[in-house]
Amino acid sequence: MKAAFPYIGYHTFALKDFLTALGAEVCLPPPLTKRTLELGAKYSPEMVCLPFKITLGNFIEALEKGADTLFMAAGARKCRFGYYHYLQERILKELGYQFRFYPVSQYSPYEFIFEKMPQIFAVSPTQVLKALYLMIKKSELCENFKNCLRVIRAIDYQRSLEFEKEYLKKIENAKRIKEINILNKELKRIRKNWLKENRIKLKVGLVGEIYFLLEDFANQELEKELGKLGVLVLSKRSLYSRLKHLLKIEKEFLKIYYYAKKYLAVSPGGEAIHTIGETIDFIKKGVDGIIHIFPFTCMPENIVLHSLEKISEDYNIPILSLSFDEHTSKTGILTRVEAFLELLKRRKRNGNSIYWN
Amino acid sequence: MRGKIGIIRALLYYRYGFLFVNFFKHLGIEYLLSPKTNRELIDLGVKNSSSEVCLPLKVACGHLLYLKDKVDYLFVPKIIYPYGRLYTCPKMMGLPTIALYLCGKEKVISPTIKGNFFLPLFFLGLKFRKNPLKIVSAYLKARRKEEKKELVFDNKNLKIAIISHFYNIYDEEIGSFLIETFKKEGFSVYLKDDLDEKILKRKEGFAKNIRWAFERELYNAFKYYLDKVDGICFFFSFACGPDSLIGEMMAKEAKEKGIPFLTIIFDEHSGKEGIITRIEAFCEMIKRKKR
Repeated sequence: MKAAFPYIGYHTFALKDFLTALGAEVCLPPPLTKRTLELGAKYSPEMVCLPFKITLGNFIEALEKGADTLFMAAGARKCRFGYYHYLQERILKELGYQFRFYPVSQYSPYEFIFEKMPQIFAVSPTQVLKALYLMIKKSELCENFKNCLRVIRAIDYQRSLEFEKEYLKKIENAKRIKEINILNKELKRIRKNWLKENRIKLKVGLVGEIYFLLEDFANQELEKELGKLGVLVLSKRSLYSRLKHLLKIEKEFLKIYYYAKKYLAVSPGGEAIHTIGETIDFIKKGVDGIIHIFPFTCMPENIVLHSLEKISEDYNIPILSLSFDEHTSKTGILTRVEAFLELLKRRKRNGNSIYWN
Repeated sequence: MRGKIGIIRALLYYRYGFLFVNFFKHLGIEYLLSPKTNRELIDLGVKNSSSEVCLPLKVACGHLLYLKDKVDYLFVPKIIYPYGRLYTCPKMMGLPTIALYLCGKEKVISPTIKGNFFLPLFFLGLKFRKNPLKIVSAYLKARRKEEKKELVFDNKNLKIAIISHFYNIYDEEIGSFLIETFKKEGFSVYLKDDLDEKILKRKEGFAKNIRWAFERELYNAFKYYLDKVDGICFFFSFACGPDSLIGEMMAKEAKEKGIPFLTIIFDEHSGKEGIITRIEAFCEMIKRKKR
């Protein structure tokens, strides 16, 4: 079995390890490029959101490379995301590829552990649980790595490039829980040391749709560019927190839900509750501004836009909303982000007023 | 509580409006229904809502703003499941949230409806009237059952099925002209809501996987009409999330069967003339195919 799945940023390693631990040979598609996006956009319906197009392009490239088993997250609820796989499977079959397609429902963890995975890989549930534990640990490591990278980027961009190269290799090769724990401790220590220097000028909270927060290709490498400009990015969404949320062991969710309840009449599904709750959480922790990113025509995030407007008024904090589609240019986004950062700097200088004193 | 209640003539009004309006009428509560959609209301909505939502939601925002200063309360129910644990749509669920910010928290009354219409309306009625028996009888009177005639397919004319949401096709400013245009071309028009509920709520095939109530109805109607009509027209608004996926599925199935399938996407900028020209060309194609 040559298994493939769509990229999701650094957390790809965690998913890869999960499948490897279950005994599958993982055939990662080539890194996301413009070709991926073009391929995806060519065969998808025109009105669908960007993650559909990128993941479809990913699948096509993986199949070209020789993968024969595809995995895709599923679980039909309010958001469009749960329905992706029906159409993707059909489109890929029409293109003439031979493959097996396994949609993995997000919302039934017990079925996933005790029925679905043992059936596909012919292993026992204990093995699945072991692999799942490894995946959770690894995704925690990936999250720590990303947090660490964010701090270094904001202080010294050149050093962060070397750091990224060095540690990506280490993370990829860490296959045992012991190694992962050691790396985890090391990364936490490095982050603390860098934070001691206290040279951070601006803090910006990044909220929005999960795929866009995790995959750097989708958000036009926004985090990298922010780091280049000397901004510390704070973000809570990761595969680790998502997995914890799905297994219902996410501690922070209660707090986030409490914050979000004031600003939402009904949850419109997707990441709406997390977006609003995290925004307020970041504001209470003292960030200078919030950047909200989502795919063009995303249904839940567009409802959230109205709530964010109100939050911005209530807490007197600037919020920039950016929507991305396949035609979005990096320059256009950068110009808007730079103008936004200029505003934040001026506010900081003048004591939370955007006007000249 | 005393005062006038405002009901918007948009989105779910075209499905559940008669229930809400008659309920308030029989209870003797003063209500105001917003006028039929016109250009001004659309402009008002477009100015005051996110630029990426669909036109029906923008229209609903326009209606809300029109009613805002004319009534004491705005009735915007949170309809999560219209029936059987099937969701409406994220944007419809977002309308109460948007209403809170457009009109103020004190003004909006939004009972939560989860599959059951009676209890939320009953508790709402208790806020206005004291006698519970009157509220129950008002609800029973309001709940009329429309008897649908059985569909008969005549073979004189060519037949076209228009697959579209009720809030698009029944809104005179948005989509009603579609029916007239097809009739002018000499077609018999069949709509989704002409069909019996039993057909619309079927759980067979791909329809089983769709968890959006109205989308499942669209798909079932499409499946039913597929081998009975000469052409299918799918009409949906720009940025409609559910339609973008299910529509593609329908287009693929129609292509397999060789039935002409026309997809029309509209937004606030699309002119009627452009759409009419496309429809005329489509009709011409079907006629030539039949000859």
